[in-house]
Parts: sequence; C-alpha cells; structure tokens
Amino acid sequence: MIHRECGILKTSYEADMALYPLPIARWTVGVIAALMFLALPLAVGEYYLSLVNLISIAVVGAIGLNILTGVAGQISVGHGAFMSVGAYTAANLAVRLHAPFWVALPLGGLVAAAVGAVIGIPSLRIKGLYLAIATLAGQFIIEWTINHVTWISGGVQASIEVPRPRLFGVAIASQRAMYFFLLVVVVVAIVAALNLMRGRVGRAFVAIRDQDIAAEIIGIDIFRYKLLAFAISSFYAGVTGVLYTYYLGVANYEQFQIGTSIDYLAMIIIGGLGSVLGAIFGAVFVTLMPIVLRYATETVGHLMFAPSDVANVTTNLRLIFFGGLIILFLVVEPEGLERLWRNVRNYFRVWPFAY
Amino acid sequence: MLDWQFGALLLSNGVLIGLMYSLIALGFVLVYKATDAFNFAQGEFVMFSGLLVAVGLGRYGAPLWLAVGAALLLMAAFGFGLERVVLRPMIGRPVIGVIMATIGLAAVLRGFGPLVWGAATKALPLPIPDAPIVLGPLLIPPIQVVGAATSLVFLAAFGWFFLRSRAGIAMRAVADSQQVAMAMGIDVERYFAIAWAMTGVVSALGGVVWGNLLGVDVQLSLVGLKVFPVVILGGMDSVPGAVVGGLIVGVVENVAAGYLDPYVGGGTKDFAPYLLMIAALMIRPYGIFGKEIIERV
Amino acid sequence: MNSVLRSLIGASVAVGAVLAVAGPAAASHEIVIGLECDRTGPTQVVGVNLCPGYDDYIALVNSKGGVAGHKLKVIEIDHEYKVPAAVEAYERQKKDGAVLIGLYGTPQTYALTQKLTEDRIPGTSPGFGRADATDGTRYPYIFPIAATYWSQATAAVKFAGDQLKGLRGKKIAYLFYDNPAGREPIPVLENLAKREEFQLRLFAVPPPGVEMGAQVLDIAQRYRADFVVAHLFGRSPSVSIKELKRIGYPLRKVVSFVWGAAEADIDAAGGYAVAEGYNCLEFAGVGENYPVLTEIREMYKKEGREPTKEMASTVYYNRGVLIAAIHVEAIRNALRAKPDGTITGEDVKRGFERIRDFTLGGLVPPLEITPTDHEGGGWVQVWQVRGGKLVRETDWFKAYSDVIQAELRQAAMKKS
Repeated sequence: MIHRECGILKTSYEADMALYPLPIARWTVGVIAALMFLALPLAVGEYYLSLVNLISIAVVGAIGLNILTGVAGQISVGHGAFMSVGAYTAANLAVRLHAPFWVALPLGGLVAAAVGAVIGIPSLRIKGLYLAIATLAGQFIIEWTINHVTWISGGVQASIEVPRPRLFGVAIASQRAMYFFLLVVVVVAIVAALNLMRGRVGRAFVAIRDQDIAAEIIGIDIFRYKLLAFAISSFYAGVTGVLYTYYLGVANYEQFQIGTSIDYLAMIIIGGLGSVLGAIFGAVFVTLMPIVLRYATETVGHLMFAPSDVANVTTNLRLIFFGGLIILFLVVEPEGLERLWRNVRNYFRVWPFAY
Repeated sequence: MLDWQFGALLLSNGVLIGLMYSLIALGFVLVYKATDAFNFAQGEFVMFSGLLVAVGLGRYGAPLWLAVGAALLLMAAFGFGLERVVLRPMIGRPVIGVIMATIGLAAVLRGFGPLVWGAATKALPLPIPDAPIVLGPLLIPPIQVVGAATSLVFLAAFGWFFLRSRAGIAMRAVADSQQVAMAMGIDVERYFAIAWAMTGVVSALGGVVWGNLLGVDVQLSLVGLKVFPVVILGGMDSVPGAVVGGLIVGVVENVAAGYLDPYVGGGTKDFAPYLLMIAALMIRPYGIFGKEIIERV
Repeated sequence: MNSVLRSLIGASVAVGAVLAVAGPAAASHEIVIGLECDRTGPTQVVGVNLCPGYDDYIALVNSKGGVAGHKLKVIEIDHEYKVPAAVEAYERQKKDGAVLIGLYGTPQTYALTQKLTEDRIPGTSPGFGRADATDGTRYPYIFPIAATYWSQATAAVKFAGDQLKGLRGKKIAYLFYDNPAGREPIPVLENLAKREEFQLRLFAVPPPGVEMGAQVLDIAQRYRADFVVAHLFGRSPSVSIKELKRIGYPLRKVVSFVWGAAEADIDAAGGYAVAEGYNCLEFAGVGENYPVLTEIREMYKKEGREPTKEMASTVYYNRGVLIAAIHVEAIRNALRAKPDGTITGEDVKRGFERIRDFTLGGLVPPLEITPTDHEGGGWVQVWQVRGGKLVRETDWFKAYSDVIQAELRQAAMKKS
C-alpha cells in the first residue's frame, strides 16, 4: 500500500535472494526488534513475560521440526525425545563437569543432533508413514533408555537439577532476564533457519520433499541430506530441551513425552508447513490456546454450570476445542495460519487497488 | 515350577493377548486398506465404544444385547459421519494432514466422554466367568478366549469379504487407485463410508472385550499405541497380517518380560516390540503380509 | 478470504475484550491459594474426586467466616499433567497473589521447585513428589505434608513383616510402574532387604500399565513371592488386582501404595468381591465417619443442595479434605503472627512448620511438621477390603525412620 515494490529492481541473484529484499522489510524488522527488545519488557508484567518465554522456547522447537517435516518432508514424531536428550546432556555437563551455561547449550544441541542422525538412519529405506512410526519407536526407546540408565538420568528419579544460568557473570534469574536471553536465541534460530532455507542445503531439502527420486537422479545425495535434516532438526530440539531445563531449573524426561511431540507437530501444521513464519505462528497459537480457552471457559462457564462442574467442563472442553481446532484448520485451511497471514499481506500489498 | 511350564504359561498368555491386540489392529487395517488413511485415533475408537457400552449397561441399565447393539450402530454411524465431515475434504492432501486430523479427533474423543459421563472408571460386566480355565499348567482367562475368538472370527469374515465379495473387491480396487476405480464406475465415496463404518463396528467389539478386561476410562485409549508394532510387523493393509502381527507382538512382549526383565531391571515388555518393529522397518517395511511397493533409489 | 479474515479479527477482538474484563483480582483481606488439580489427563481418576474434596473444605471454612476472619480464595487450575501448563499455571497463580501452592504431579513438583524457592512461596506435594523434600533444610519451600514414597515403602515392608511374622528369608516382590515416581522407593527397599535379610525382586510395569500378565505370572508362579508391594498409578492398580486374582494369588498378601488404593480402583477391578483382601496404604482416613465430613454434608443441606457425588469416593475425596485442612492450618498459624491478613509466602511457610496436634477427628494423622521435617513423620494407615467395604486394619504408624534419614543424608551429599 505504499507501493512498496515499485521501482525496486534486482540485478543479481544475491540481491534477489537477500534476507531483506525490500527496504520496507528492513524497516519492519527494525520496528519489531524495537518493540520486542525495548517496549515489551517495559510494558508488561512478569506473568506475561513468562508466557512469552514459554512461547519463545516453543518457537525454537517448532522451527526445528519445521526444517525436518516441513522443508525436508520427513515426518518425525520423536521431537520430544531429542529435547530430552539435549536436556539431560546439558544437565549432566552442568552438574558433573560444572560446565557453564554457554557451553552446555550448544553441546546439548550437538549430542541431540548426533542422536537424531542415528534415529534418521531408517529414512534410507522407508519414508512417509513408516518413517513416522520409526521415529515414534525412537521416541519410546530414548525414553526407556533415559529412564533405565541411571548414568544418564542421574538416579531413579530421573531428574537433574541445574544451577541458575550465568552469562557474562550475570545470573539469569528473573523472567525479564530470561526473556532477553531467549529473545536473542530465538533471533539466532530464526536467522539460521532462514539462511538455511535460502542456501544450497535448503534447496536440496525441498527437492527431497517434492520429488526424491528426481533429486537423486540429478545428483543430490538424498541419504546424506536426510540425515543432515534430522541432525539439524534435532540440534534445534536439543537446544529447546536445554532452554526448558534452565528455565525450569530441572531436567526431567517426563516433560518431553509423546504428547509433547504431538504438540509440536500440531504447531507446525496449524502454523503452516515449510515456512519459518508458519512455525512461529503455530508455536504462539498452540502455546496460548489452552490458556485463552481456560480464561474463556472460566469466565463464561460460571454462567452456565454449577461451580463444581465448571472445572470438569472447562478441562474437557479444552481438549475438545484443541482437537476440534486442529481438525478445523486441516479441513478449512490446510496451509495453516501462514497462508492466512499471506492473504492479508497480499491484500495490503496492492491496496487500495484490487490487484 | 519348571521352566518349561512357566514358558508355556507365558506363551499362552502371549498368544491370547496378542489376538486381542489384533482386534484393535483390525480396525486400523480396515481403514488403511480401503482408504489409505492412517487412523491415529484407533485406541480412542476402542475406548469410546467401550464407554458407550459401559454407560449403556451402567447408567441406563440396558440389557447387554441392547447396549452392545446400540454401541455398534452408534459407532457405525460415527464412522460414516467422520468420513463425510473430516476425511472427505482431506482426500489428496499430504499424508501428514490425515495423521494430524486423526490426532485431533483423538483429542476430541478423549474430552467428550468425561465431559458427558464423568471421568470415573466404569466397569463393563459381561456374563463371562472370571475364574481361569485350567488346562494342565496353563491358566486361561475366559475373557481372553472370547477376545481371541472374536479376532479369529473377524479374520475369517474379513478375509472372505475382501477376497470374494463384490463390495470387498470394490474396496480393494478403490485402495489401489481411486481414479481408475471411479472410471470403472465404482462409487468411491460410498465405499469409503462403508470402510469407516466397519472400523467402527470392529472397534466397538474391541471396546467391549478390552473394556471388560481393563475397565473403561480415558486411559483405555493407550492400548491403541500397541497398534503400531502390530501393523508394521504384519503389514498395514493385510487382515491376516494384523492377526499374525498381533500374535508376534503378544508373544514377544510376554517372553521378553518373563526372561529378559530380570537382567535389565524391568520394562523390556514395551521395548522389545519396538525394537522388533525397527528391525522390521529396515528389513521388510511392508510387513510380513503387506503389499510391497518397490521403490529403490 | 476477506470475510473469514474479518471474522477472525472480530473473534480475536472479542476474546481480547473478554480477557480484559476477566481475570478477577483478589478482594482485600482475601487470602489466595493456588491449587493445581487435574480433572483431565492420566490422573483424572484421582483429581476428579480429590479436587471437590479440597473445594468443599475451603467452602466449609469460608461459610464459617474464613480463617480468623479472612476468607480464602482458591485459584484452581488443571494442567493435564503437563509441565509447561503447570509452570504457566503457577505464574498465573503467583500473579494473582497466591501465598501457597498445592502442587499436583511428580514431574511438576520437580519443575517448580526452583521457582517456588526463589519466589519464597511454599508448595505442598502430598503422597507424591520428591521424597528428599522431607529435608526442610535443603528444600525449604517444598512440603510433602504426607507420607512420601520412601515412607510408604518402609511402612509397606513393616506391614508385610507383621503379616508374615518376620521377614528373614522371605520373598518380597515389588510391582511398580516404570517411571521415576515408581522407581523412587527402590533404593530404600534394597536397603531394607539387606537389613532385614529378605529377598527382593523388582517387577516393572511399563507405561501405560494396562497389560502385566507376564509380570504377574512371574510373581505368582515362578518367583512365588510371599508378599507383593505394589506401587502403581492410574489404570494399573485395578488391572493388577484382576490379574493377580485370575492367577489365584491371594490379595491379602498384597499391599498397595497410596495411589493404587481407592474405591475407584476397586470398582474398576470389578467390585469389592473381586478385590477381597486387598490391603491399601492410606495417608488420610477413609470412609464417611469423620466429623468434618458430616459438617460438609450439613453445609450442603443448608444450601439446599445434594452433597457432591464425589463424596462417595472417600479415599480421594478425604485426601482433598486433608490437603485443604493442612493448608488452612498453615494459614491460621501464619495469621497468628500477622492478624491483619497481609501474609506472604514466607509467613505461610513458617505456618506450616508449626503444625502439630492437628488430627481433624482422625482424618489427619498426628503430623508434626518442623523446619527440618517437612513430611510430618510419614504416617500411614492400612485399610483392607473386607466384606464389601474398606475396613481399617491398623492405626497410624510409621517405620524405619532411621533408614529414611540415612537416605536423606545420602541424597544431600550427592547434590552438594
């Protein structure tokens, strides 16, 4: 609507594929950055910041799963297990070797990436549904291993406490401090994912997703790239697990079970497969929805049911809404929230003209 | 007791429980065979039908035949409705969409039951004695015999259905290639609906048997997780495969639990079928009886 | 697409408006408690009966004018046994001014320990949670307030020993749900096995715990256990009762930890006739013969309503009442120091640590919570299924406190 694309001509491939193809993109990002870094933390209270923190952690995980399932086309139901791998790695490093936070974080991701690559080995032979089931098996096997091998889980309670993270000598203790840190991590994650998709590796992934036989024929080593996809996605998952661990102060695999894996799948599907923005939308939506639903049913429920029944109704209604919304999105808008967003954006692109 | 006696006990338990797993897997196979759709909510179907029967018996005091009959009809209708409302628009979409749709459906079913009828566990009494039948060293619970027998009856019935009857052959044609089937004049939509209705019926009977064994509440749906090793081992689109897969999983579970647990500190029961499943996926992903679609790159 | 878009925008505006108006704040002089209680999720069988018990006791207290003149407000949130939801619930309860959190679920207790300690708000984890939180010096803000899994383990072994007239040389089977909560008592049991010289064999039931034929077969026919200590949750207790009965193992040689021991489990197993002889550890009194329950029923009558049907499920309902009662006692103690009602989490913590001689007519064991012992002693009772109902078998007892103390010391050394 500001004729944003008028007069802007690209003369090289690099320019065309740049991260900020238009000047307005730079402005938009700048405004958002100012909002998130300056305005938001000053304006809202601790509770809302804690929500944003939860969402940020989910965003990292969703972007990771999106790379594997949305971009590379390999369905994975084992995302939660990779998170617990990252979580326990970091927790063990922190407790046994007194590794500082900034060491534990990437190492947790790397170990998770290694495990992810191993779980991805079946992708050599199978794909689609069967691969999904193989990753499901991977989820259960990793859980079982952590539960039974006390060397990893730190005892029968399978919980390892981590000290408060310290970065540059400052302890990250309050929600606000955690918020800034997570924001930085999220930005890095987003930029990394975007760059990945723009580059050679990303294009290979898309080729594998769309037509893997053709991709192999033109010379893309699909097995290597599939493993790479698993590894990168698991790296993100491991980092998510580490972030959760430090956010809560304890690593426990029961937070990362099959329900979590399914939640993340829901995030990327509702958000829109294959795009980073979709993953962000999905993460925000799925994290916030139970909370919003709870507020709504509590406020409205008092009018319709006796107080003792309200709790029962609220909670079951929430499940029904969750499932119903997933189905609704899949039936009505299979490309997710990202497509809705794109429709809005395209409308405003040429506004006030019709096309 | 002697080791061989213990082994025989484990084996018999494994066979019977395995056949009961097959009952659940059959519902899954039916849908996949006819419509290529992957029903992640199979456990919830079983749970929900069990809930219908339990509520019919308990809350409404209906006689057994009425409660079961009503549940069968309701589940068949539910299958019809589901196909029409949710799955028809999903035709042609990527497979992950259908998976997520059934996951969403699972959540809805899990919330719906307790919402209407309360969350307490309900018993599902059947006129089947509880005392085990004693055959030498073997102790055989009658309910498992009923479940196993139902499984085998369905095996025979559906085996015949898909091989001989017009409707069954039409369904196989639809599963093979929808376009061609439509070109041949087969009403694809009708057969989709019938397939889902059949799943509803099978789930209902599974729900009755499992509900009696375990009691009915939301957690009953977790038994549906067993479906995956069973259908992978047996073949996702094969009715005899469901039965054989179930047998294998049931026996492996029990034998593993009996003989491996003491060495590993427990828990091999769940572990073993999944390991077996991964091995099967690597060597023969389409299962023992599944249709092989060769695609080597 | 435009119309869909507009309706979406409209919907979100509406929701936003609702949110802005909703979220009632606590009135002045009201004391806010945060309760996490799951009426959905894997433990819904428990929560569905426990939460009404809690709510009813609080309503009773409020109907009598509150605690020292201050009404109580409970913010009850169901987190479906998921940890992120529990964390969000806690943050919300904290925002609304909660001075005490009733936790629910072992993973959630672990996840919130650090936050509760930093925010100085006490949290209770009765009958679940982490056993090492008994040590009040290490975990000053976590209060088990009821027998932890370690205490339940020692009590079960003592009961088994009494039933078998001695433990030496006997064979005990530990049938447990294969997750961290189920495995927590294992070190204590192994300790006791060495000390009392009995054989211990572990039988894990992997989640979801709906099929345990092989383990039961092993216990009954191959290992031939003299006594079974069962620690199962959710569906598995009723399944275990049925399986053991089918195999012909006498249920009076089975004692179950507190979460496998309710009317719901007995019903799901097929009724009292099937479960005859089954022994249950309880940390709250069972049944309807307690003055406080009569008072609650009268309260309902005065309001012209039928008592909530969950009252019939006395095992879990009474536990809800117990938790509420102990919470109220702690608040009462806190208010003694600050009668104007401006108590903080710190005050409530100290209030907890002064609880003693509070038995609520026998519903609550003779707890004695001190700054070093946040469990209160680890008291349990054994109730048995006899003749169609649960009958009290023993009085409140605890056992092998020295073993537990040793375990606590070991846990403390490991961490630091």
